[in-house]
Amino acid sequence: MRPEAPPKRALQFLRWFCREDYLEEIEGDLTEIYEKHYKVSQHKAKRKFIWGVLKHFRPEFIRSFALYPKYSFTMLIHNLLITYRNFLRYKSSFFINLAGLSAGLACTMLIYLWVSDELQVNTYNEKDSRLYQVMQNYHEDNGIHTGAGTAGILADALAAEIPEVERATSVVPASWYVNDGLISYNETYLKAKGQFISKDYFNIFSGNFIHGDKNTSLRDKNAIAISEKLAVKMFKSTQDAMGKIISWKQEGTQGNFQIAGIFQDVPVNATDQFDILLNYEIFLDGKPWLREWGSSDPCTYVLLREGADVMKVNEKIRDFIKSKYKTSRNTLFLQRFSDRYLYGRYENGAPVGGRIEYVKMFGTIAIFILIIACVNFMNLSTARASRRFKEIGVKKTSGATRSLLMLQYFEESFLVTLASMMVALLLVLLCLPFFNDVTGKHLALTFTYERILALSGIVLFTTILAGSYPALYLSAVKPVEVLKGKLKTSLSDLFVRKGLVVFQFMTSMVLIVSVLVVYKQIQYVQSKNLGYERDHLLHFELDIKADDNDKIFFEEGGTFQKQAESFLNEVKNTPGILSASNYYHNLTGDHGGLGGVDWKDGDEDDHVSFSNLEVGYDFIETMGIKLAAGRNFSRDFANDKSRIIFNETAIKRMGLKDPVGKVIRLWGKEREIIGVVKDFHFESLYQQLGPCLMQLEPRGYRIMARVDGKSQSETIARLEKLFHAHSPGVPFDYQFVDDDYASLYAAEQKVSALSVAFAGMAIFISCLGLFGLASFTAERRLKEIGIRKILGANQFGIVTMLSSDYTKMVVVAIVIACPLSYYLTTQWLHNFAYRISLQWWFFMVAAFLALCIAWLTVAAQVLRAARVNPVECLGRD
Amino acid sequence: MKDHSLGEFEELVLLMVAALHDEAYGVAILENLEEKLEKKLNISAVHVALKRMEDKGFVKSRFGGITEDRGGRRKKFYVITALGKRVLDQQYSLRISIYKQIPKISFT
Repeated sequence: MRPEAPPKRALQFLRWFCREDYLEEIEGDLTEIYEKHYKVSQHKAKRKFIWGVLKHFRPEFIRSFALYPKYSFTMLIHNLLITYRNFLRYKSSFFINLAGLSAGLACTMLIYLWVSDELQVNTYNEKDSRLYQVMQNYHEDNGIHTGAGTAGILADALAAEIPEVERATSVVPASWYVNDGLISYNETYLKAKGQFISKDYFNIFSGNFIHGDKNTSLRDKNAIAISEKLAVKMFKSTQDAMGKIISWKQEGTQGNFQIAGIFQDVPVNATDQFDILLNYEIFLDGKPWLREWGSSDPCTYVLLREGADVMKVNEKIRDFIKSKYKTSRNTLFLQRFSDRYLYGRYENGAPVGGRIEYVKMFGTIAIFILIIACVNFMNLSTARASRRFKEIGVKKTSGATRSLLMLQYFEESFLVTLASMMVALLLVLLCLPFFNDVTGKHLALTFTYERILALSGIVLFTTILAGSYPALYLSAVKPVEVLKGKLKTSLSDLFVRKGLVVFQFMTSMVLIVSVLVVYKQIQYVQSKNLGYERDHLLHFELDIKADDNDKIFFEEGGTFQKQAESFLNEVKNTPGILSASNYYHNLTGDHGGLGGVDWKDGDEDDHVSFSNLEVGYDFIETMGIKLAAGRNFSRDFANDKSRIIFNETAIKRMGLKDPVGKVIRLWGKEREIIGVVKDFHFESLYQQLGPCLMQLEPRGYRIMARVDGKSQSETIARLEKLFHAHSPGVPFDYQFVDDDYASLYAAEQKVSALSVAFAGMAIFISCLGLFGLASFTAERRLKEIGIRKILGANQFGIVTMLSSDYTKMVVVAIVIACPLSYYLTTQWLHNFAYRISLQWWFFMVAAFLALCIAWLTVAAQVLRAARVNPVECLGRD
Repeated sequence: MKDHSLGEFEELVLLMVAALHDEAYGVAILENLEEKLEKKLNISAVHVALKRMEDKGFVKSRFGGITEDRGGRRKKFYVITALGKRVLDQQYSLRISIYKQIPKISFT
């Protein structure tokens, strides 16, 4: 009786761990003993065998597990040579790989640069980890609004009363003003950004002074500090600038200041850019109400003590305002200063996201593009594997281990990746200027320690990703089958390869749909009827020199008003100007809320905040806003200053019927409603349209003028002349309203431009892969096609046969991509209060595009194959 | 200088290799030892001893022919080397000489 074989697992284990030169003897001896025991007792024999194997598991018998025992320098050179020869022999697939990978890597690197730059915004402060901004929540009847404006005296109170707060400072950033201020010295006028800071600013924020001392220079109210750039621009050198007296003018602030410090330019990745620093007291002097608790204008920053718990501090300061000012309904919370840039969208009084979503989105896109590029590599190398099977077979029979072969393929993918990286770096260098242009950034390809680490990481990741499948797949073939030519592509291999193509096209399709949706939404936003005519509408600020001796200069009917009115008349009489008006607030910015409107009897008071527009005569006409009822402010009526105009939303919110002629109270004063205007969008379409009120203010120093579109440039030239005649030397700085409006959507514009570019790249890379695959398949099936043709197949039939494969894959990709892209785009659209609805044809167009692109890609190859002369391809056999 | 030490079990295995002469392979050594010592041994112990002695140069080995038994694995035969024999002789004479120094004491 022949005994059955010894326990399989134990034997496998023995073969796995045992040294090869000992294995035969040990296995033989163990088997012999096993066979002897087997005659007595099967079970005992098995037990003894297993025990015997385990007893052998000791250092003397265990083989070396060093990964590549035979991988020597010679092997390395040999592999390099083989790789090089392969590149030479199959140039097309090498170049497809190189092009695909380098395009993918270039995209990834650009996105990496962009993302890392986004993440670094505002992190330049040394004490960044403890630097927080105080945010204010306005609890109103229609929800919570969050703003950065806080009470003017909050900083000092927080520093004094909250123990965790080490220091606090009030800052009025330059962006608080709509327009830049004007700095002048000896008839040199320059527009500049002015920021007001209170005393502890430089104990919280980082910054360096070239001249002067950052902590003491600004103590004097008449002292200012200017940036290095501005100093050089105005005075040629920083040394010359020190001590000079300049005059500075910005709405509400005007006067002469002495330059007491020159600071290094603010880093480009800071959100608050400024050229001039002024003492915060000057800002307060112009606005005495800021010394009260009810106000909210400057930003407040605090530096927490080491180890302070933000949550606890948040609890303490939540009702800080209420404790000072009983009727307030505002609450405070802290947000990391450097987080505000990325998490700048608030819902229900808490940050819920913002730019971080774009950062994540592009990060994901980068990874997907890289994967798509790697998929090309995998597909091409496995598809062409049959050409290399013999090589592998021979290598294996002459003793190459699997790990050795795997290493060879990794080496190959590493070489391709490395070459692609070089090309990609070159591409990035070429593209960076355009990329910076689109994104509005100042990215540069510098090689810091971190960046080199990241790049090596990307190379390694790509090598492993691209090389893993071919390495595993190719190294697993059995030499006997390969050398006998028995090997057939198994179903699972085909499945994987097709799956990869499906994946590529799915990603491309999702990107196409996303691009379409983003584009449509932006278009919608830009063409949406805003309730006023945006075209050819420009605005600029009037520059009127104050006269210190004139006591009623700014008063009603004073010199300021007279000058503004006379200038406005001149503007109106300028040929090419259709109409003009003046106003106080800007249209596309943040208007904040104005409370204190009382439309009910008694003391009952609803908390509705209104956007406050102080406008001159003819403003509504100039803007092209439609009146729903009543009339506009008019010079024909005396005392229109005590009257008021609302928008329709405001009337609805207040619940007034037949509003015209009714009287409401604003800050206790009675105001008669003389008109209702149709709703117009004065904010970005992210927000729902809010209630708005208009008051007459003939002293507005901003001029809004509608220009005849036909003679626009001539008219602007005339306006400039007029402006210079009025205020010589001052730069004429005008803007078009539609540009302002477009800038509200700058982020979306950038995203849309970038997504178009990256979607294009992804599709391009996918197509490269498909192209490679198609040319290869067509070549391999040449004989089949020849035979078919001999048997009577026509060209059309062959084209259909060859392209149906790809069509199927693309269709599967489309089926998967539709719901996915639907979900993703819906998520994005939820950011907008006014948005397009998704149309079925978006998906149709995307699907059609994907199919067309796929067909076009394979067309040349398929046609060439279909046209082949059977004699040529079959002649040799 | 090579290590010429010889452990107790190694010595037994070496003796057996010498005794079996051309027929000494793992299982044969094991069975003969088990018979002489009248106790069960594990083959791994024999293998360890053989490998160590082969490293020290006391024995040398060669493969036998393929047979149907043993799952088709060849036997590995061991023979004692001149060095092995010398070490064995030394060991033997050392023991004898010390043994002879034992005074004639009666253990009755």
